[in-house]
Amino acid sequence: MQRWLARNESIDAVWAGMVPGPSADAVASRIGAVPKTFLDDRVRVVALAGDVLESDRGRGQESTDVVAVLDEVTATGSSVARRGAAIALWLWAGDEELGALAPPLAREHAARALAAMAFRLASVVDPAEWVSDAERRDEAARTFLFWSGQLPAGEDRDTASSLLTMRDSLQRNGALAAAAEEHAHRLEVTRKLQEARAREAAARYTHE
Amino acid sequence: MSDVAQASQGPDDPLAIAEYTPGGQTALDDSERWPSLTPAGARRLEALRTHPFAPPWVHAAGDRLSADAARRVRTPLPLDGWLDRHLDVARRLPAYRRRAAELVALEDFPLIGRDDLVDDVSAFVPLDADLEQAVHGSSSGSTGRALLIPDDIEDTARTFHLLVTLAAEQGVEWTPNPERMALAHVVHQRQAFTYASVISSFEQATMARLNLIDEQWPDRLTRARFLEAQNPQAISGSPTSLAELLDPSLVEVLHPLVIFSGAMGLSGALRADLVASYGCPVIDIYGLHETRPIASSADGGPFVILDRRVHVEIVDDRGRPVSPGERGEIVVTAGENPLLPLVRYRTCDFGMLVEVDGRLAIAELEGREATTFLANDGSRVACVDLTQQLQAAGAHGWSVKQDATGGVEAVIARGDAGRVSAALEALLGRPVTVERRESVADLGEGKPRRYVSLA
Repeated sequence: MQRWLARNESIDAVWAGMVPGPSADAVASRIGAVPKTFLDDRVRVVALAGDVLESDRGRGQESTDVVAVLDEVTATGSSVARRGAAIALWLWAGDEELGALAPPLAREHAARALAAMAFRLASVVDPAEWVSDAERRDEAARTFLFWSGQLPAGEDRDTASSLLTMRDSLQRNGALAAAAEEHAHRLEVTRKLQEARAREAAARYTHE
Repeated sequence: MSDVAQASQGPDDPLAIAEYTPGGQTALDDSERWPSLTPAGARRLEALRTHPFAPPWVHAAGDRLSADAARRVRTPLPLDGWLDRHLDVARRLPAYRRRAAELVALEDFPLIGRDDLVDDVSAFVPLDADLEQAVHGSSSGSTGRALLIPDDIEDTARTFHLLVTLAAEQGVEWTPNPERMALAHVVHQRQAFTYASVISSFEQATMARLNLIDEQWPDRLTRARFLEAQNPQAISGSPTSLAELLDPSLVEVLHPLVIFSGAMGLSGALRADLVASYGCPVIDIYGLHETRPIASSADGGPFVILDRRVHVEIVDDRGRPVSPGERGEIVVTAGENPLLPLVRYRTCDFGMLVEVDGRLAIAELEGREATTFLANDGSRVACVDLTQQLQAAGAHGWSVKQDATGGVEAVIARGDAGRVSAALEALLGRPVTVERRESVADLGEGKPRRYVSLA
């Protein structure tokens, strides 16, 4: 979870760049069809990404960021992080094996989506449950779509937001939710105090 | 910028600190600094800024009050039940909420200190705080590392009206007078933020933060003529800057209704000289930036605890409350700044609680030494000038001692010893020995006496 928090991702920025995506059901269905090979801890996710995102090579920074996230996943030695990343990679790989979803899954924010699945969601829900439990599958699908910057088909922003919040295991885990809330608060206080507007300060009248 | 002139500090000045570059920290326009500025207020402000004898303004700062806010800040916050509500707010702070159930009464809260705020001030800022009200508050403080805290716009503005109340308690009728500057907040240090401003909640009378140091003025006559023209009703400052008011050129032209001292201990001799020179009350205010004003003394006696959201305890060296009349460290619970509701904050200052006319007061207050160093040219250099350079060089703590012959030795915790040595030598015009240690703890136990000068 600390690795996710350290990325300082902005929810507002995601909403600001949201584009239409496939339905949450379609993505959830694809999660349910993840091949066993993707979940095998012996498979290296960096190599997997090389195959899955091969067509994205040459996309510059995003490819570099994807490799950086997957290197971090490997460095953790965590099985849940590895499997979380592998399921995200499967969602893109499924386009080739099962046909593209409509609209297709976005890849512009692949690094962010991978980090959300491997470090945020996987740290509170074992990816095995994403496959076996319908609610957690829906949560994984919505998490993936959101951090990919895609609005689920058939939903407006309010609906998508409330369904994601309702499913969000992080928010349902009191201690982790508190840690995440405080981390966001720390960033906000720091940002606010460093803003030029705040730095000008206000007139003061005494010497304390 | 039209309102921020060039200061005298040149580009090759070895002591220049970037943030004091004229205009370097300004970001707003006047309509944002004073949202309710009237044409008359704007005229007064412009006249102050462009006065022919005005010093260079390094900075610009307003009170940012809307008309509604300007009305609100004239009235003190209500006190009924404030402490209970304050503790409720505190229990929900990130710093405490995991163990809120254990924190039933005030004494259940742990003591906190400056380092807690330096490490993570956000843990002491309410999660639902209105950060739109926050401005950047920084304090050089007493242990070394600079502290950055959120100041609340209305709380800051309300402090001015506290001064008006304290003056009234001394029989001073201080009301807005468009012909006079309401307040001159004076400093006397090599580098400082200076600005011209108006006080929205005081009929948009003017105020200014002025640096009285000679280098800011063409000559002392210009300084006196500028201050004479402004004719400030009140003057506030630290003992270092207030001592400058004893210069005959200023005594001759100034007629303050009241003088406020803060930041460091005001000696009895300086108080007496100020009273003799100006014939007005001199009120010493004890407070920290983090806690805001705590207590005041108008007669050089004990500091009467202010009638505001502040609660004072005295604790022993193990942090346990002492019996009434026993000396110990002053610990403050402070509820005026809604963005930083502090509970049991250690001040590193010492004193004892006594009663004065039925009100609690702090007697034998210690810990605010006003130290100056003797430079090679015979001038005295205020310790705040050293603090700025030590902090700019990244020192976390320090001890600087000058012996009777003028020799200076500095011990710093972390930071760039070479830079400290160069800066202090430039300030004092004499060699300075600097020894660097790895941590503040290596400076010795207890509260370090940061500055001592026997010269």
